Amino acid sequence: MSTSVAKLEKKKRRELVLRPSSGAINVSVSGLHGSTRRPNSVVASYSGRYFSVIGGSKMLEKSAIQAPRQAVRVFDEGNNDVTPRPLYQVAPGAVQAKASWFFVEEIPGGSASDQTSTTGGLIMPFFRSVLGSSRISTQSTIESMNEEIENTFSKQDMPINLPDVQKKREIVKEQVTEEMLKDIIDVYLSETSTISLLDIPNTFVSADADDAKAIIERNSQYAEVCRNRMGSHKYVDHSVQTVNGAAKNKQVQSDSITMVDAATTVTTWDIYDTLCSPEQDETMHSPEPEKASYTEAVVDTDRVMERSILRNAFQPKLAAYRQLPVLEDPDSPVRPGTVEQRKEDIENSRSPALKCLWAFSCELSRGRSVSSMAWNKKNLDLLAVGYGELHSSNQKPGLVCCWSFKNLMWPERVIHCDSAVTSLDFSSNNPSQLAVGMHDGTIAVYNVQSQINISHVISSSKCPDKHLGPVWQLRWTQTELSLIEEQVESLSSVSADGRICKWFVFISDLNCTELMKLERVHNKKKKAGGNGTEKKSVLSELTPGLCFDFHPLDSGLYLVGTWEGLIHKCSCSNSQQFLQTYRKHFCPVNCIAWCPLSPELFLSCSSDWTIQLWKQDHCSPVLGFSSTQGAVYDIKWCPKWATVFGAIKEGQLEIWDLSANILDPVIVQPAAPGVTMKSLLFHTQSDCILVGDSAGHVTVYQLKNLRARESNQVNILEGLISSAASRQFCKTQPDKNRSIPTA
Amino acid sequence: MAEVEETLKRIQGQKGVQGIIIVNSEGIPIKTTLDNSSTVQYAGLIHQLVMKARSTIRDMDPQNDLTFLRVRSKKNEIMIAPDKDYFLIVIQNPSD
Repeated sequence: MSTSVAKLEKKKRRELVLRPSSGAINVSVSGLHGSTRRPNSVVASYSGRYFSVIGGSKMLEKSAIQAPRQAVRVFDEGNNDVTPRPLYQVAPGAVQAKASWFFVEEIPGGSASDQTSTTGGLIMPFFRSVLGSSRISTQSTIESMNEEIENTFSKQDMPINLPDVQKKREIVKEQVTEEMLKDIIDVYLSETSTISLLDIPNTFVSADADDAKAIIERNSQYAEVCRNRMGSHKYVDHSVQTVNGAAKNKQVQSDSITMVDAATTVTTWDIYDTLCSPEQDETMHSPEPEKASYTEAVVDTDRVMERSILRNAFQPKLAAYRQLPVLEDPDSPVRPGTVEQRKEDIENSRSPALKCLWAFSCELSRGRSVSSMAWNKKNLDLLAVGYGELHSSNQKPGLVCCWSFKNLMWPERVIHCDSAVTSLDFSSNNPSQLAVGMHDGTIAVYNVQSQINISHVISSSKCPDKHLGPVWQLRWTQTELSLIEEQVESLSSVSADGRICKWFVFISDLNCTELMKLERVHNKKKKAGGNGTEKKSVLSELTPGLCFDFHPLDSGLYLVGTWEGLIHKCSCSNSQQFLQTYRKHFCPVNCIAWCPLSPELFLSCSSDWTIQLWKQDHCSPVLGFSSTQGAVYDIKWCPKWATVFGAIKEGQLEIWDLSANILDPVIVQPAAPGVTMKSLLFHTQSDCILVGDSAGHVTVYQLKNLRARESNQVNILEGLISSAASRQFCKTQPDKNRSIPTA
Repeated sequence: MAEVEETLKRIQGQKGVQGIIIVNSEGIPIKTTLDNSSTVQYAGLIHQLVMKARSTIRDMDPQNDLTFLRVRSKKNEIMIAPDKDYFLIVIQNPSD
């Protein structure tokens, strides 16, 4: 036994516990076993050597487990105290703790036939396999160890030990790595005393074992006993009866157990909701907020609903606006009249025409005259329309409506202003800011993003330098400061008091600096006596400015049109002098527009019934257009085609296409009777035009069949201009077809 | 509240709108412009449909939610705008 022990001990790190086969210990051990699921008396009788070989790879530190719990002291044959010591006392204890768990899983089971426990069942196959692998047959009593573990410790103990041990190991490790990487460390390996973790006496003993003979003898004795049992008189089959007591019926009554079926379906979002929803109790909400939320909720859904309904109703028109193919409603009853109409449309498709799509109007706006319109810079579907009577004596308070193309019947935002609105512009840097210029000279900036109670963000009403006359035009311009990379935006305005001002925000109010004063340029030919009276007039020498436009590329350069009919080119940096003056009109210049595609050209229109096309350097117009007798109120270039522009005259809308005809407008759209058109706007993305009129309608037209789509417009325009300019210099040569109309 | 009334009136006045029903989260109609029997029928049936639709959308992605539901039929179109506690049903005949 001791030799085998020695042998075992030689195999380092592989072997384990050794239990001597002394009787006393057996008793104690089996006493332990007795309390386990091992009812086996065979075990108790076996003193058997239990030493277990672990077929594993874990290094084992032997330390006792049980000492504090039981006064068990284990002695081997040499009466050496091999009582296992507690696990946690050993420093590098984690390894063995792990190993102990390792045992539980891997250790092959001992006595096969007796095991009823599940662990035994698991362990069994391992055991057999291990046997088969020609291991020493004195295989483990590791099961016993197993049970010891489970016995002696409640299962809570082990986990508690483990983390401690593990922590210790980690701490130790860190210190080592930091400090002593380079040192040569002497490592002393030694083996601690073995602990017995599991001791299952096995039912098989190797033939080479020392007490094999005794066991064989006993086995044979038993076999003989069994054999002799059959015919022997010693053994008698005897039946036993248990006494069955008399049964007594007793009645018990209990409350009926009510069974209720409860079922629930759980969906993914249910789980998500409970997990992620805010932890507020619903009981905390008073009933009032619920009502408010009802209205808000309904209003929101109302909005969506309205848009959808309108989209249904206006689908073909909206599709035309967006330049999408118009879908046929598959269920609508086909009326015979429409088929013919479609044929006609196809036939007439050659000539350029305007198709009326719809009109923005609502109760609020009916009866008010449209004075100006502006697109939102960011959301190209948003349109701001200003309403105000410009020339009548009784001034109604003004109105600004923000229309969206998603809802054609009702504006998205309605802003009531103090006085009639004369001009509008959306900012580019802050797309929700809308600057509104009014008839009494105040400029207010509104934030249209909030839905309720739009009040002006800032207003110029308190500014001492504010305009005294109606603000005829506003523009947000972006100036690039060379120091700062950003584009700084500033608001400029021209007004009837003859000043052009640049506005900035000063302590939450608008304040302005003057860019230019429009002084009357006296024409030296007219030395009428009116000069003397003019000096005494209150407005001094300033002439009302009616319109202005900033150069598309150079934001420091702008043109101003005045009441006198003069157009001045000015610069932001020079506030004393005009850079150039263009004379042609003799009536107030109503609108000026730089050509967005060809930056040298601009158009001007005036109440003298003409439209003039100028080139920046020439003092006289390159081309002039006049069609019918009527003051031209508004003029705009088409943003897509360089040769197309639109003009509003009293009573009609004209579309000119210079590549087709420079004498007459290509399309003329008369206004509804009794209504005068006031304002014009091209849409940037599609070929639609918006026209505002004095009845408060903003009508959307679609341009059709303009041949201008085809070729490069700018080239054509430039060509026209150059040919016209050349003709100007050669006035002596009579030209048959193209005579420049002189005002 | 006035804004709600106004908006509802505007919707009612649109082209082709046959009826409006506002239903609460339990399927009980709160406000309607149709007769009683139709209202009850619409409310009950559509409530189930909306629950199913919403469940479908949210099952695919719990962070998503149903915003609008349109059912197009031969004779008309039913548009349902759901909200957290209520939903709005509008029946429109767009070809009118």
